[in-house]
Amino acid sequence: MKEWRAIARSAVGVGHQKQNIPCQDFGAYSLIAPDVMVGAVSDGAGSAKFSDRGAEIAVETSILLFQKFPKDIYDELLQLTLERAKEIFEHLLKNILKKIEQEAQNLNCDYRELACTLLVFLATPHGMVAMQIGDGFIVARPHDGELQLLFNPDKGEYINETTFVTSSNAIEEMQVQVFDWKPYFICASTDGLENVAIEYKNSKPFNAFFSPLEEYLQETLVPEEEDQYIQDFLNSERLNTRTHDDKTLLLGLLTELTSTLDVPNTTTDEPEIEETEQKQNNKRSFRIKRIINFFLPSSNKTTS
Amino acid sequence: MPVGLPEFADNTENRCPVILLLDTSASMSGEPIRQLNMGISDFKGNLLEDTQATLSVELSIITFGQIVNVIQNFTSVDEFTPPTLQTSGTTPMGEAINSALDLLEERKMIYKDNGIPYYRPWIFLITDGAPTDDWQMAAQRLHQKDAEGGCLFFAVGVEGADMNTLTQIAPPNRPPALLSGLNFRELFVWLSSSMKRVSGGKVGEAIALPPVGWAQIST
Repeated sequence: MKEWRAIARSAVGVGHQKQNIPCQDFGAYSLIAPDVMVGAVSDGAGSAKFSDRGAEIAVETSILLFQKFPKDIYDELLQLTLERAKEIFEHLLKNILKKIEQEAQNLNCDYRELACTLLVFLATPHGMVAMQIGDGFIVARPHDGELQLLFNPDKGEYINETTFVTSSNAIEEMQVQVFDWKPYFICASTDGLENVAIEYKNSKPFNAFFSPLEEYLQETLVPEEEDQYIQDFLNSERLNTRTHDDKTLLLGLLTELTSTLDVPNTTTDEPEIEETEQKQNNKRSFRIKRIINFFLPSSNKTTS
Repeated sequence: MPVGLPEFADNTENRCPVILLLDTSASMSGEPIRQLNMGISDFKGNLLEDTQATLSVELSIITFGQIVNVIQNFTSVDEFTPPTLQTSGTTPMGEAINSALDLLEERKMIYKDNGIPYYRPWIFLITDGAPTDDWQMAAQRLHQKDAEGGCLFFAVGVEGADMNTLTQIAPPNRPPALLSGLNFRELFVWLSSSMKRVSGGKVGEAIALPPVGWAQIST
């Protein structure tokens, strides 16, 4: 049995801080089953007044839609035709626009004031389905393969022009793809990290950007609780001199889920790392905790 | 924890080309040209305060006074040396607009050939007179370029400028502004903050530019 280990974090861009604009990026994920992950990131248009709300709506609606899917669809993911995948995402886009329209009425503004991009992926151990409207990127890697950029960022002639879910041409510009290779590491991000993570001249992911992030996930049992590394990176001076925009990282790594309390010999297919006794103990106590959590009602779950 | 933080891809910085199209005809002599020279010098200083703008903005200057002259081809802000402009002769504005559009086309080709991402280019015209050459064709070409989103054209009239003709030269949706007094410095402060904004965020429809405090009427 496998399980996705994941984290999503955003940080406000220094350009936005200067102008007192809130963080307009939003990213989130959900493990529908331990080995089925749905993730979404969105970047609110800098020029749209309530685009931070737009981004939140787009991401939450995406995740909710996939959570509602009948269980067996994930097993059928590989049989999903491109046609069917497109239908699913068009349906999603309609839902998002409906909610954005409602929110615009509440806020008493034009729906375009909630303009935002959207990138969504659904990943199982066997494959991925993904979509992208606007710029930003999803990069993924099979266990023994190269990093791949799933879609080319959608840009107009100018670097700061792109398509938004609210654009009249959103459906035509929406990119959808079904991937039948086994994903192991995934990173989704908004365009704030594009020019440090992707080599524009050949549209290739820059390996040295992604490998430390992958390493971080390999070494961190509960990334959501141990996020210092990611926070430090997103807020680092070095990154902020290179990008003034909001930044979002959504990371996933497919790990081996051990269902017993025995420490496995070495049957995982992860690269072997020398483990200290301390680390092994940590692992064991974490697994025990998780099993306890599994049997307890949610209110008295341990949260350390 | 992993050894080290993510390394960065070595991409060229996004570019934001700006052409200053400056009237150096005889009527600009004396105080106006002195203030304009100071304004341009401030412009460089203001842009240098902002890392992103310094990396992005590429400046070029075309003057028109008796002849049209590309006195500065596109250069980065830190390598830009503010010129000391001299005045003479007539006002060949039409020809100047054409050279600006040609220079821009050339620049875009260079960007495209080298895979350099760029922002919408700006052309910033400053004049105190009326064109002394055939400007109608140039204006037509300019309106088309602007409407296609090929550039952002701003016209600024200095006291004494023929605002009627300038209104016909400027794109219909962006009427010319009349500079109050010789407020060149403030004009260039505004231009540099606009540049900083442009090289910052993403645009949906248009960028909200800073309020125009240097003009008599801001339409």
